[in-house]
Amino acid sequence: MTLPLLEVENLQTHFATPAGLVKAVDGVSFTVASGEVLGLVGESGSGKSITGFSLLGLLDPPGEVVGGSVRFKGEDLLSLDATRKRQIRGNRIAMIFQDPMMTLNPVLSIGTQMMETVQAHANVSRSEARQRSRDALGKVGIPSPEERLDAYPHEFSGGMRQRVAIAIALLHGPDLIIADEPTTALDVTIQSQILAQVQQLCLELGMGLIWISHDLGVVAGLAHKVAVMYAGRIVEQGPVDQVLDHSRHPYTQGLIASTPMANRRGVPLHQIPGSAPSPLKRPEGCSFRPRCARATEACLVAPDISAHHGHEWRCFHPLGAET
Amino acid sequence: MNRREPPLAQAVNISKRFQKNTDFAERAAIALGAMSAPAVVHALDGVNLEIRRGEVVGLVGESGCGKSTLGRIIAGMLPATEGTVLRDGEDISTLKGRRRRALRLRTQIIFQDPMSSLNPRRRVGDIIGEAPRFHGLVDKAGQTKLVAELLETVGLQPEMAQRFPHQFSGGQRQRIGIARALAVNPDFLVCDESIAALDVSIQAQIINLFMELRQRLGLTLLFISHDLSVVQHISDRVVIMYLGRVVESAPVDRIFDHPNHPYTRALLDEIPRIDRRNRRFSTIRGEIPSPVNPPKGCHFHPRCPHAFDRCRVERPALRNVHDGHESACHLNDLPPQQQPPRRENTDETL
Repeated sequence: MTLPLLEVENLQTHFATPAGLVKAVDGVSFTVASGEVLGLVGESGSGKSITGFSLLGLLDPPGEVVGGSVRFKGEDLLSLDATRKRQIRGNRIAMIFQDPMMTLNPVLSIGTQMMETVQAHANVSRSEARQRSRDALGKVGIPSPEERLDAYPHEFSGGMRQRVAIAIALLHGPDLIIADEPTTALDVTIQSQILAQVQQLCLELGMGLIWISHDLGVVAGLAHKVAVMYAGRIVEQGPVDQVLDHSRHPYTQGLIASTPMANRRGVPLHQIPGSAPSPLKRPEGCSFRPRCARATEACLVAPDISAHHGHEWRCFHPLGAET
Repeated sequence: MNRREPPLAQAVNISKRFQKNTDFAERAAIALGAMSAPAVVHALDGVNLEIRRGEVVGLVGESGCGKSTLGRIIAGMLPATEGTVLRDGEDISTLKGRRRRALRLRTQIIFQDPMSSLNPRRRVGDIIGEAPRFHGLVDKAGQTKLVAELLETVGLQPEMAQRFPHQFSGGQRQRIGIARALAVNPDFLVCDESIAALDVSIQAQIINLFMELRQRLGLTLLFISHDLSVVQHISDRVVIMYLGRVVESAPVDRIFDHPNHPYTRALLDEIPRIDRRNRRFSTIRGEIPSPVNPPKGCHFHPRCPHAFDRCRVERPALRNVHDGHESACHLNDLPPQQQPPRRENTDETL
C-alpha cells in the first residue's frame, strides 16, 4: 500500500479560556490518500472546523495544538518552522473557507491578489503570473477571465467569489485541499455548480480533499470516506456506504434518521433527545451517553476505537451485526 | 369542507417594488442629470397564492426570489405596491381599528434567527406574555398561567419563564419564538426559514413540533424555506418561486414525482440526499439574475436548456397542466412530440 497523503494521529487542540479548558479536538485520527475525498461531518461545536484549522496551523490564541501528529507526505506539519510552513501552505496544501470574503482582500483587484499568490511560491515574471491566474479563473468556470482579473471582490456574486477563492486555492496545483463548509452559504443550484467543479478537478488533478460540512446529503454525494464528529471526537468513520448504510454508532444513525427523506414524508422524524453538550462541561466517558438510548454504565469510560475492514467506531454498544 | 368557503389567505396579483427614498437635493440632482435615478428592486411581480384552511403550503425558492417578502405581505407586515391580500375573503388593507387588530393577531410569523427576534433584556415569561396581555386576552394572573401552558406546549419547562434568552440553546430559543407566536391564539403561522439556522438533530425536533402543533391546534402554515427536503416532509402543497414570480405550484407528491417547470426539475435534481452516493454533479448553468434588472419574457430563459424565441419576449402565464398542478412555462403549449423529455428523478452516477 502506498503512503497516505495526509496522516493525522491523535490530534488534540485545546482552548484555555477564562471559563475553563475547552478540548475542541480531543484525539482525532484519520488519513487522506491522493485523489480521495474525505467528508468530515458534524453539528456546530463538534470541532470539525477547528480540526481543519489545526492541520494548517491557522488557530488563533488561545487555541493551541497540544498533542498528536499531522504527517503530510511523511513530513510532520506541527513541528515545522515558519519558513517551511509558508512553503507548504497555499502551495502544496490549500484551504477554502465558508466565507470567501475571508480569503479575498476587498481593496485589491482579483488579479493583484492572485498574482501575489503565484509569485509567493513560484519565481515567475508578472506576465507569467497573470497568465496562470487567468487560466485558474477559466478552470473554475468564470466567464471572460481576462477582464475579470481587473475586477474587485465586491463586483462578484457570492457564488462567483467562492469560485475565485477556489481558483486561488488551485493556483499551485496543491496535493491537498481543505474545504471548510464552502457551499453552505450558497443557493442550491450554485452549490451544485461548485460541487461539480470541485469534483471534476479532484478527478483530473488527483488531489486529496477534506470536505468539512454539516450536510450529510452533500457529503454522501461527494465523498469516498466519511468521518462523523461529535464533541471533539470522531465517533465513526469509514467508506461512505458503510458509514451511511450500516452505521454502527448510535449518533450517526440518529443523524441519518433525523434527516427528512422522500420515503418518510409526513411521518414524525426521529429525534435525538437533548442537545449537544457545552464544550466546557462534556460528560465523562462517551460524550454522547446522556442522549443515547443504548448507554449503560460501561459508557462512563470513553470507548476505544473498534474496527472492521476500514470501518471504525467508538462505541461499546454498536448497532448492527458484523458485515 | 364547504367548497365555497373563502380561502384562509389569498394573495391576488401582488407586486412589490423596493426603491430608495430620495430627498430634495437628490431629486434635483436626478432632474439635472447629475445623478442616476435609484434602482428599483422588483421583489414580487404579479403573484397569486391561495392558502386553504388547515393546509401546509411550502414556499420554495433561492435567495432573492421574493419568498420572504411574499410571506411578510401575506402576514400584513409589509404593504404591497399593487394587489390585495384577502384574509377569510376580506381585504386586509381596508379594515380599520379593532377589527384590523383582531385580524392581525390571527396571523403570526416565526423568524429564522431566534436570537435576533427575542429581546435579550427581557425574561422569557414577559416575551411570551406581553402580546396577550396588551391585547387584553389575559390579565396579570392569567399571564403566568398562560405562559406556563405555552412553554409546555412547545416542550419547555414552565420554570424557564424566569430565564433570559441567552440562557437557552438555539433550538430552545426557536421554541420560545413559537410559543410567543401561539400566545395570541392565531390560526395561521408564517414560518420564514424557521429551521434554517438549526443543526440537523435540532431541526428534526422543531419540524416534529410544527407537525404536532398543526394537528393539535388545527393550524394553517405557510412554510417558507430554501430546503426542498424539509418542505417535502412537512407540506401538503408546494409553490416554487423564481425571481419574484411563482413558476409552479402543485400537491407535494405531484411536484416531486412529476415536476413540470424546467427550473423545478433542475432544483429537484440538485437536492443533496443521503441516498445519492458518488453523484456526478451537473447543473443548470448561470447565475440568478438581479431583481433590479430581471430578464424579459420568462425570467428563467437565460438559464433554461429548453428556451426558445417565445420565452425571450412573452411572460408565460401560470396555468393548469394537471388536476391542481399549475406551471408557468411555454413548453406546455408545444405539441407533445416537440417537448423535451421529462426526466423523472434519474440519478447519474460516476
